[in-house]
Amino acid sequence: MIYDIAIIGAGPAGYTAAISAAKEGYQVALIEGDQLGGTCLNWGCIPTKTYYKNADFLKNLRSADVFGVSLQNFSFSLDEARKRKDEVVAQLKKGVAQLIEAHNITYINGQASFLSPSLLQVHGVETRQVQAKNIIIATGSKSRKLTISGADHSAILDSQSILELSELPQDLLIIGGGVIGIEFASIFNYFGSNVHVVEFMPDILLNEDREIVKRFLPLLKKQGVKVSLSAEVTDILPVENGFVVTIKNKKGQLETIEVSHVLQAAGRVANSSGLDIEKAGVEQNKGMITVDQNYMTTANAVFAIGDVNGISMLAHAASHQAIKVVEHIKNPDKKSKHGVIPSCTFSFPEISSVGLTEEQAIEKGINYKKNKFLFVANGKSLSLGNKDGFVKVITDQNHVILGVHILGPHASDLIHEAVLAVDQGLKVEDIADMIHAHPTLSEAFHEATAGIIGKAIHQI
Amino acid sequence: MKNKDELLYTKEHIWISEENGRAWIGITDFAQKSLGELVFVDLPDIDDVILEGETFGTAESVKAVSDLFMPVDGTVVAVNEEASQDPEIVNQDAFTAWLIEISVTDQLQLSGLMSAEEYQLFINGDQ
Repeated sequence: MIYDIAIIGAGPAGYTAAISAAKEGYQVALIEGDQLGGTCLNWGCIPTKTYYKNADFLKNLRSADVFGVSLQNFSFSLDEARKRKDEVVAQLKKGVAQLIEAHNITYINGQASFLSPSLLQVHGVETRQVQAKNIIIATGSKSRKLTISGADHSAILDSQSILELSELPQDLLIIGGGVIGIEFASIFNYFGSNVHVVEFMPDILLNEDREIVKRFLPLLKKQGVKVSLSAEVTDILPVENGFVVTIKNKKGQLETIEVSHVLQAAGRVANSSGLDIEKAGVEQNKGMITVDQNYMTTANAVFAIGDVNGISMLAHAASHQAIKVVEHIKNPDKKSKHGVIPSCTFSFPEISSVGLTEEQAIEKGINYKKNKFLFVANGKSLSLGNKDGFVKVITDQNHVILGVHILGPHASDLIHEAVLAVDQGLKVEDIADMIHAHPTLSEAFHEATAGIIGKAIHQI
Repeated sequence: MKNKDELLYTKEHIWISEENGRAWIGITDFAQKSLGELVFVDLPDIDDVILEGETFGTAESVKAVSDLFMPVDGTVVAVNEEASQDPEIVNQDAFTAWLIEISVTDQLQLSGLMSAEEYQLFINGDQ
């Protein structure tokens, strides 16, 4: 049989494309070489957010006295946390499997490679060929392997293997201060490990607004995480109970430290190995598959969505691209609108953002306005026991909201009103005129926005 | 460090305590009171060379953001991590919660600063 659409990879990009296409009445084959749900569900977003909740619980226990609760002592089992994580993952995976089945999608477990732009060879339990009018590559990404001496040692953790630990590491030296590194640092710090983040660049979380990071870094350090900036790991030497790590510090001096565990979190790279994309005429640039505005590759009717095209390494960007690709296959002449992409970091407190940072506004030469509203002046935040963080709003001179950056409790949930504002090109007055319920954290966005035109009530 | 009567002061409400070419720098109690509850202090990097009158950081309270101006030329040798992580200690005692330690470039510049008595007269006029 000839499928309308064959999809390689069943992560958030692939399975969303499959379900979306099936809803349009297409015959769909979904091919996955590993686990249904991909990195996001099995080794990324979901397991880490499950651990984040464990860390949050421990954080609350440690400040129990603030809430009038006295605890004699408590202990934490990483093995139990891991079991809970596995249950959450299994449940979600079952849900996705049910959706795949309910939409009559042919699910094939095996490694796919191209024989031509419309024909795939799949090596699974048996080898078979899959022919399709359209093929979507959604094979995601993998951890970037460092080229440091000793970094290939099997006991060095990556963002996947760290999730399988059943015993808590005494120390965790994290190479990389991006989102993945900072999330693991925040989580394992509250689990009880001695965490040290080593970042090559002069700052962490490079995609975020600098003012947010400037505020966040002292908070992270206060929680007990050691952070070395402009520092480079030059050598990792395995010893009896861990590793001796050599770090070239900011001043260029070499320091050695002995730690029980090392985590590589120096970013992710597109994963297109083993696909034989050249047989389909699909080109790539620096390992990322080249696509046009409709996510079509250099081969006709072959598309690439999600991490593999290098546009964004975020699951929600991947699933958005999946929906857009199916819309394009259905209606090639329709111009599709690409939404703005919010991003979230699950640290303590959370960080989220959408649209332009202040640095980007400066770089683009925009004559911008900005305002910040501190959570210390928000009643709901204080009642939750949080004084830290703020909402920052950036607009143009006509008060059109260009960017919003949040450091604070539930920032990942709060960002969506800002996503609506930036996506729809709303103005400050649109938000200022909207009634925000009291007492809520959302009032901080209302005040931060109203402050642009001097109408914030709880701000001087 | 010297007690507050022996410190030197600037019109920007900065105190400096100098001994043998090394100096500790902080904000005055008057500045702390005017700013209100501090939520954040942003401090420079070690080894930064900062000239008199330039900003060496910012202090942000629930009410306002204020630049911190260098009293004399110097090279930053240490920053008070405790103050940057817990700015409330500046509110608790502004004269012990130093912000940065510097190596003073030109000790002659110190003679242009105000004594405790002169600073007191200055802020009385300021109010």
